[in-house]
Amino acid sequence: MTTKEKPEFNDEFSEAEFFGFAKSYLSEAFPNPQRVGCPPDSDLQRMAEQPVEARDAAASEHLTCCSPCFNRYMEILANLRRRKAAGQ
Amino acid sequence: MASGAAPSSFRLNSVDRLGRQIDSVVLAAAETVFPRALEYGTNLLGDTAVVANMLEEVAATVSQLIARRDPPGEPTPIRNLPGYVFRAFVREVNRLKNKELAVLDAAIAGHTLAQRLADPARQLEMKLLVEECLAKFDFVERDMCWRRLEGFTWDEIGPVHGLSGHAAEVRFRNAVRTVKAKLARSRKPLPPTAQTAQNERLMPAMEADDDKGKT
Repeated sequence: MTTKEKPEFNDEFSEAEFFGFAKSYLSEAFPNPQRVGCPPDSDLQRMAEQPVEARDAAASEHLTCCSPCFNRYMEILANLRRRKAAGQ
Repeated sequence: MASGAAPSSFRLNSVDRLGRQIDSVVLAAAETVFPRALEYGTNLLGDTAVVANMLEEVAATVSQLIARRDPPGEPTPIRNLPGYVFRAFVREVNRLKNKELAVLDAAIAGHTLAQRLADPARQLEMKLLVEECLAKFDFVERDMCWRRLEGFTWDEIGPVHGLSGHAAEVRFRNAVRTVKAKLARSRKPLPPTAQTAQNERLMPAMEADDDKGKT
């Protein structure tokens, strides 16, 4: 990795704290048992592989208020990352 | 310690704890430096048994090194074998100590973060920041956030949006900073307490008294 990772956003909030909190919060805070307004899995797959604003803006925004979709998207990104690592 | 020093009364095993044989010449050298090694190692590691085990392991490693480099029967190329063994031992002790300190530091950092996140006021602050960030971020910044949440490095995130890793990191940090600054500006002052309300009611009367004093 060429970019030096800085652990702090500033004195008050650390990056680890921000992302640690955000992940646990978004994965549980918005249960959507009826799956209202959820995009199909293929849309999330496509956004993970090549995000395009005009096409994926709604799906990306939906992730901020739907924990099941957020968790699914995290799974998709993890698989993508594993595939890329295996391909290298 | 010179190799010609008086023989030490300290004894080491001829096999280390991993079952590797220690050459008799190396064993004698290790026993010569044993008192110094014990003093140095106990100061840093605190356990004499660990120190003795480590010295035996170092002696076994040096024995293997010599066996690989020298044809049998050739004199050893290491001129000061006790000094060589001692230096190797010191390096190993320092490596172990640094590893121990690094593990301790990581444990303390993790504990501090867990403590901070357990604080309800802190949780509320973080919740506000996360919600505000996700509402105010543009599409690219939000996508960076999703990828970072899944553990992508900035060098992996940047190229997805046609940026370098550094540029992606700077853009994201600036976005968070902007949201934080807006949040700080929008903090409303606390509602007046009974005491401050009473003071405000008294102010006109006090001003009237001042006016009387002047006339």
